[in-house]
Amino acid sequence: MTEEKSLLAVFTDLDPAADAIEHLRTLGVHDDCMNIISGIPVTEAMLGRPSQWTNVPRLALGGAILGFLAGMFLAFLSPTMYAIQVGGQGFVAGPPSVVVLFELTMLGMLLSTFLGVFLDSYFPSYRPMKYVTEVSDGKIAILIECPDADEKKLTDALKKLGAESVQPAEAQHL
Amino acid sequence: MMNKSNIPEVGANFAEGEQGKWGMVIDRDLCTGCQACVAACSMENNVAFVGEEDSGYGRSMHWIRIERFWEGEYPEVKMTSQQPVLCQQCGHAPCEPVCPPFAAVHSQAEQLNLQVYNRCVGTRYCANNCPYQVRVFNWRDYTDDRLDPALVTLKNQYNPDVTVRRRGVMEKCTFCIQRIHKAQDKAKSEGREVADGEFTTACAQACPANAITFGRVDNPESLVSQLAGQNRGSKLLEELGTLPQVTYLNGG
Amino acid sequence: MTYNQQRSDKVSAPHAGHHKTEEHFREQHLMLDPMPRGQMNDMVMDSMHTTSWKFWVVFAILSAIVAWGLFYSWGKMILEGLGIAGVNRPAYWGIFLVNTVFWIGISHAGTFISAILRVFKAEFRRPFTRAAELMTTFGLIQAGFSIFMHMGRVWLSYWLFPYPNERGLWPNFHSPLSWDLLAITTYLLSSTMYLFLPLIPDLAMARDRSTGWRKTFYKVLALGFRGTEGEWVHLRNAMNIFAFAIIPVMFSVHTIVSWDFAAATRPGWSSTIFGPYFVVGALHSGMGAVVMVLAIVRGTMKNMKYFIRPEHFEAIGKLMLIISMAWAYFFFNDYLVQWYGGDKWTKQLLHYHEAGPLGWMWFLMLIVNIAIPWAVLWNKKWRSTPWITFTVGLLINVGMWLERYIIIPISLSINRMPFTWRLYQPGIEIPLGIGTLAFFILLYMAASRLIPLVPVWEVQEGQMAHSLKKFGRETVVTVSELE
Repeated sequence: MTEEKSLLAVFTDLDPAADAIEHLRTLGVHDDCMNIISGIPVTEAMLGRPSQWTNVPRLALGGAILGFLAGMFLAFLSPTMYAIQVGGQGFVAGPPSVVVLFELTMLGMLLSTFLGVFLDSYFPSYRPMKYVTEVSDGKIAILIECPDADEKKLTDALKKLGAESVQPAEAQHL
Repeated sequence: MMNKSNIPEVGANFAEGEQGKWGMVIDRDLCTGCQACVAACSMENNVAFVGEEDSGYGRSMHWIRIERFWEGEYPEVKMTSQQPVLCQQCGHAPCEPVCPPFAAVHSQAEQLNLQVYNRCVGTRYCANNCPYQVRVFNWRDYTDDRLDPALVTLKNQYNPDVTVRRRGVMEKCTFCIQRIHKAQDKAKSEGREVADGEFTTACAQACPANAITFGRVDNPESLVSQLAGQNRGSKLLEELGTLPQVTYLNGG
Repeated sequence: MTYNQQRSDKVSAPHAGHHKTEEHFREQHLMLDPMPRGQMNDMVMDSMHTTSWKFWVVFAILSAIVAWGLFYSWGKMILEGLGIAGVNRPAYWGIFLVNTVFWIGISHAGTFISAILRVFKAEFRRPFTRAAELMTTFGLIQAGFSIFMHMGRVWLSYWLFPYPNERGLWPNFHSPLSWDLLAITTYLLSSTMYLFLPLIPDLAMARDRSTGWRKTFYKVLALGFRGTEGEWVHLRNAMNIFAFAIIPVMFSVHTIVSWDFAAATRPGWSSTIFGPYFVVGALHSGMGAVVMVLAIVRGTMKNMKYFIRPEHFEAIGKLMLIISMAWAYFFFNDYLVQWYGGDKWTKQLLHYHEAGPLGWMWFLMLIVNIAIPWAVLWNKKWRSTPWITFTVGLLINVGMWLERYIIIPISLSINRMPFTWRLYQPGIEIPLGIGTLAFFILLYMAASRLIPLVPVWEVQEGQMAHSLKKFGRETVVTVSELE
């Protein structure tokens, strides 16, 4: 079994980065072995990459349902657990229940959206990670996982395609 | 968790046109404005004395007040009859639903508005929403004798049947609920119903002109029902639909 | 060479004889004046690190005011009771509630700018979304302080929250105050999360270029963000959901605040239009506050003249003018219908607003909320001038505070029992109110030196999307939709 190696190629511009990704594919690097690190959101379509899967909308929906159920509990069940008559109104508040349902649904949805980002992105994570700080200067880095043997071949190819630097990626504390 | 037997029927509260349970009639033609009811109420219910300054700034805590009005322009003024105002014990009380911790609640048994002092956190929404402005707030610790040595002796006259309230709590007239309960307990121990006129509220008891009458309004035979049935009766701000339990007699 | 420079090279060919040169566009529009990202990062980092002695003097004075106005005065009031405030019968609610409504109003601007303008892709929002969102969170904190001060027994305030307790009692959801509690909690949490999400990439940027305690601070807050494809996708999805969902939450918050009044059985309060009237009022004071904050940030913070330009004051000035018109419309609608109704108590109240001892407040409110914004903001040159929009914003905030003062303690002086009518005179509310204002400014000052006030990645994204295009002889600005 060959040893796995990571390379980090830094590009300043979008087009060379996109070209490089295409070329890497012809060199036998699968899309799953590549990752893009960028300082601004670069869409998958811009770089010709497959679409990313995200659970955030699903989690938001789940949170909304949970929030709605919590609202149902507060609006319809909690008043009957210790029933108190006020102002000649029914025990369940009626129209105000809509307010309770709305606020708790929204709260559940937004909390779970927020938590969804944490879950999907594995935040917070303070372990060493493969990263170059040039990324936050607006550069685009391609992180490639390749067999040890391919390292030289890929480095040369990436340099030829306009990579600013190609270096073996080592996990470091951010 | 859910105990169905806890839940009284929703319709237990009376609707418009129906009567509540306890009621009062105040005859404005008889009222002399002597303030005896105010003093008696304060004694009976441990109402705090707020001092001259706070009283002058609208913080007096009397549960009943005598409203004075006049007609005409000075110097041609003519006094009108006095109007004692206390909690009207509304059937549909605006103060109740607005209280977030359920401190202002409706008694199913006595058809009265209750104020649960222990639950009150002092949002004062109930007082704003009371069209009769009869709710009073403990702006300071008026009953703390460490702050006012004069209170040490005054404490000796507290009514042991009534809670002493602390700062930050809303309070109001209870129709002397401690007297209601006492009379009911006594009647129960003797195996009978509470008779009309057996007991009355402190304000009615103290009124030298007998302008205030208290009793069961759901009993057509009671004195209070008969007085209320006269055609010179009216209720305060009846148009708001609060179903007040106090009838004012005027112009007899 | 970054792709920004590459893009600007495409349009940098000389256009002799055209009305507007590229120089002109660069000067006018931040989005057409791109800078390498590294340089923008440095500028933002530099602005965070630069504090003059004046900053610390102001900081110390504000800290003293907070200590006296907020913590000492509040402690005193908790110990002695609300008697040292000015609330009485019939004005059971006073400046505490005025300040609560005021601060919730201020908090609406942040969401309006960053959510509504994001949803509608209004590009001018980019450099100051965060400056506005910070106002939301910090304003809500002051609103929270104000509402807790107002309570008679604040040490029992946790009884208002729905949680299983030994009393077996849940909150009363008949009460508008319970709705308020849910709405404000939802809004505070969601606006703080919405502030934090777009901040993560900027925190990562700050982490990459910091040392010492700041490095640790940003490292912890940046959560290990690198900017991988997945992270961006999750972040953008979440921001999109937030931008849409937080708008109805924002509307619900001030509507529910208005229901505290509108649901009550009181002349002048019981008005069905209070919901939208309050929302527009909140935006009115909020936009005024945003423009004030931007003018101060631009004037006092290093490098901010590049990011915040007259074009931004111009754009917000336009919004302020429209909102002022909307406010006037709702005010008149409310007034006319109340007046026409002819209820004797309402008539008495309206007369008291105008001709009572504090009638000057009513007239001043109309002047600074309507007359002055209309007289000034129609002019493009004036509304592009930071100090002019700043002054208008300040006056609007005075006017909106007065509006709440008229609605709460002044209207409470009049009720259906004339025997109880009485004026309200503020007591310890004044140091407490000043304390919340000082605390708001203090928090903002601290935040301006701790977190990147300009969302650099959003500015860069916007600069990528903008370019110049020629239509015949005229050069115009075009925007491509990258998202």
